[in-house]
Amino acid sequence: MIELALEKSLFGPEGKMKLAVSCQIGKGELVGIYGPSGAGKSSILRLISGLMKPEGGLLKVDGEVWYSNVETVNLKPTKRNIGMVFQEHSLFPNMSIAENLEFALSKGQPPQIVQDLLERVGLKKLASKKPSVLSGGQKQRVALARAMIRKPKILLLDEPFSALDMKMRAKLQEYLVQFHNEYGLTTLLVSHDASEISRMAQRVLVMENGKFSFDGEPRHFFQS
Amino acid sequence: MKCNGKAFLLLLGLMFFYQLTWAQKEKSVLVAAASDLKFALDSIILVFNQEKEITVKPIYGSSGKLYEQLSNRAPFHIFMSADVRYPELLAEKGLTASEIYVYGVGRLVLWSRKYDVKDLGMEAFQQPWVKKVAIANPDHAPYGKRAVESLAFYGWQEKLAPLLVKGENISQAAQFVATGAADLGMIALSLALSPTMKKYQSSYYLIPESSHSPLVQGAVVTSHGESSPESYAFMAFLKGEKAIGIFRYFGFSQPSN
Amino acid sequence: MDFSPFYLTLRLALFTTGILFLIGIPLAYWLAFSRLRIKYVVEAIVSLPLVLPPTVLGFYLLLFFSPENPMGGFLDRYFDLRLVFTFPGLVLASVIYSLPFMVQPLRSGFTGIPKAWIDTTQTLGKGRWVTLSRVMLPNMKSALLTAGVLSFAHTVGEFGVVLMVGGNIPDETRVIAVAIYNEVEAMNYGQANTYSLILIGFSFLVLLITYWLNRDKSRVLSYD
Repeated sequence: MIELALEKSLFGPEGKMKLAVSCQIGKGELVGIYGPSGAGKSSILRLISGLMKPEGGLLKVDGEVWYSNVETVNLKPTKRNIGMVFQEHSLFPNMSIAENLEFALSKGQPPQIVQDLLERVGLKKLASKKPSVLSGGQKQRVALARAMIRKPKILLLDEPFSALDMKMRAKLQEYLVQFHNEYGLTTLLVSHDASEISRMAQRVLVMENGKFSFDGEPRHFFQS
Repeated sequence: MKCNGKAFLLLLGLMFFYQLTWAQKEKSVLVAAASDLKFALDSIILVFNQEKEITVKPIYGSSGKLYEQLSNRAPFHIFMSADVRYPELLAEKGLTASEIYVYGVGRLVLWSRKYDVKDLGMEAFQQPWVKKVAIANPDHAPYGKRAVESLAFYGWQEKLAPLLVKGENISQAAQFVATGAADLGMIALSLALSPTMKKYQSSYYLIPESSHSPLVQGAVVTSHGESSPESYAFMAFLKGEKAIGIFRYFGFSQPSN
Repeated sequence: MDFSPFYLTLRLALFTTGILFLIGIPLAYWLAFSRLRIKYVVEAIVSLPLVLPPTVLGFYLLLFFSPENPMGGFLDRYFDLRLVFTFPGLVLASVIYSLPFMVQPLRSGFTGIPKAWIDTTQTLGKGRWVTLSRVMLPNMKSALLTAGVLSFAHTVGEFGVVLMVGGNIPDETRVIAVAIYNEVEAMNYGQANTYSLILIGFSFLVLLITYWLNRDKSRVLSYD
C-alpha cells in the first residue's frame, strides 16, 4: 500500500540530522512509530502527507507515485487523500464543530456524513457548539471525526492522545481502532507511549537519529 | 462579519455608481482667484447671484501657484491674477479663451494689528516692537515680489531678511499679522480694507507705488472655461458697473490707460 | 454651514479603504507566506509612504499625471481621465499613501494564524482560496478592523498630498483638512473651529468604537 524510501536533512536541537527511512506498509496495517523526541517521527508523517518536501527518494501509495526525485513528481498535499490528526487538535475556532466537519466535505459528498460521524463519536448534541467550550477529549474526537469525512485511504496520527488523561485516551484509542477497521484504513500512529502502541498496533517502527532501528512486532521490542 | 463585508462592498458599489453618474452633473464656474480678492470676489459673487442662478466657486491662492496649476490643466474656468503677467503667460501657452481684462490695480500697504503705522510710514520697520515681518512668498505671490522690491528700494532688504515670515499667499501673510504672530505686515490694501482686518486695526500705510513694479490685476477665461457659457456670463459681470464698484470699494484703482 | 468637505472626505476615505482591502489582502498574504528572496525589497517599497514626507508623493504624482506630461497626456487623450485636480486622483494618491497602514496589520494577522490550521486545510484537500476565505480571514477580525480603521483614519487626516495634487476644488478635492486650512487662511476662525471640533468628535467616536470592538474580539489563539 505504502512504499517509501525518503531522505531529508532536519535541523533539531542537537544540530543537523539526516533522516533516511525506507519501508513498505501493507493495506490495512496499523503501524506504530516510536522513538525519542527529536528522532524525526513527526517528520515522517509530514513527508508522507506532503507538508514537507523530501530531498530525495520515492513515495508510492496504492500504486500512485506521490513523490519521486527521479521523475520529479511531488503531489500537493491537497491532492493526497489522507486523514491527519495532530497533537494540537487544530479545530477552527470560528466554526461550530458541525461546521468544522462540513468544512472537510469534498464536492459532491452528502452532508449527512457529518451527522453520522458526529453521532459515531457521541457528540451529536454538541453539534452547534464552538470548539472553545469543549474539553480536550471532545476536541480530539471531533478532530478524529473530521479526518474521516473524506474517507481517506491512509490515516496519520501524530501523538494525538498524549495531552489527554488515561480514561479519555482509552476511549479515543477505541474509536481509532473502530474507524481503522470499519473504513479499512492503513494507519500510522506516532506515539511515545509504549503501552498505547502495544495495545493497538501489530507492527512498530522504532526511530533513532533519523533511521528505523527496529521493524517488527511491538512485543518483541518492548519486552527487552 | 461575513455580512459586514458584503454590506461594505455594497456601499462601495453604490458610491462608485454615484461618483460616475450624479456627481458630474453640476455646472458651476470655478474661479481661480488671487488671494487678495478674498473679500472682494466673495462680495461680487453674492451680488452676481442676486441676478443669476449660476454657482460660482472661488478658489483662492497665490497667483503664481494658480498659474502653475493652470499650466497643468487644472479645471478652473476663470483665472483672476494679481499680476497680469500670469494670464499673459497662460495666453502664450494657448490656454486662454478670452481677452485679458484688467479689473484694477492693487496696492501694497503696511499694517500692524497693535500699532497704527499710518504716520510712521516706512519708519515703522525701525520700531523696537518689530520682531517679525510678514510678506507673501515672493517666489509665486505678486504682493510678495513687490514687497521685496519695495524693501530693496528703501535699502531695508538686508536688515529685514532675518525678520521676514513668508506666507503661502497674501492672505496667509495677512493672517500672520492679524493674529499677531507677525508684528508688521506688507499686505494687500484689499485685505486691509476688509471688515475682518478692520476689526483689529482700521489704519494702514499706503506703500508708495514708486518703490515697486505695479500690481496690475488681470482676469481671463481659461481654455477649460471655453465650453461654459456660464463662465462668460460671469466674466461679463466682472466688467459691469456693480463689480467695478466693489473693486473700487476694496481699494483697486482703475488702470490709467 | 457648508458640510461638503465632510462628505467629500468620507467618500474619499471609504473608497480608499475599500480599494486598499482589495489590494492589501493579496499583498499582505504574499508578504506573510512567500519565501521568495526578494520579499524584503517589496516590504521596503510598501513601507516607503511611512517615511517619506507627503510632498514627495505629491510632487511625483503631479509630475507624472499632469496632462502636460506624457503619461498624464496619454490618459487624458485616450481615456478622458485626469489624475490631478480630480477626485479619482485623490483616491490614487490616498491608496498609495495609506498602503502600509493596510498591509502591515493584515500581514501581522496572517502570520498570527497557527501553522497547524494551514496544515489541516491542506490535508483536508482545501486550496488556498478556501483556506483564506473560510479559515484565515474569519479568524483575523482584529487585524482586519485595525487595518481598515487605520487606513480610513490616515486618509481622513491627509493634507500634504491633497494640497499638492488636489487643487483645493470645492466638492471635488477640498477635503476637510484643506477646508480647515482655507478657513484659517481666510481668517474665518469660527468656521475653522467648527470644522475642527466636528472632525475631532468624529475621529474620537470612530476610535472609541474600534477599540471597544477590538476588546470583544481579543481572544487568545490557543486551546483550552
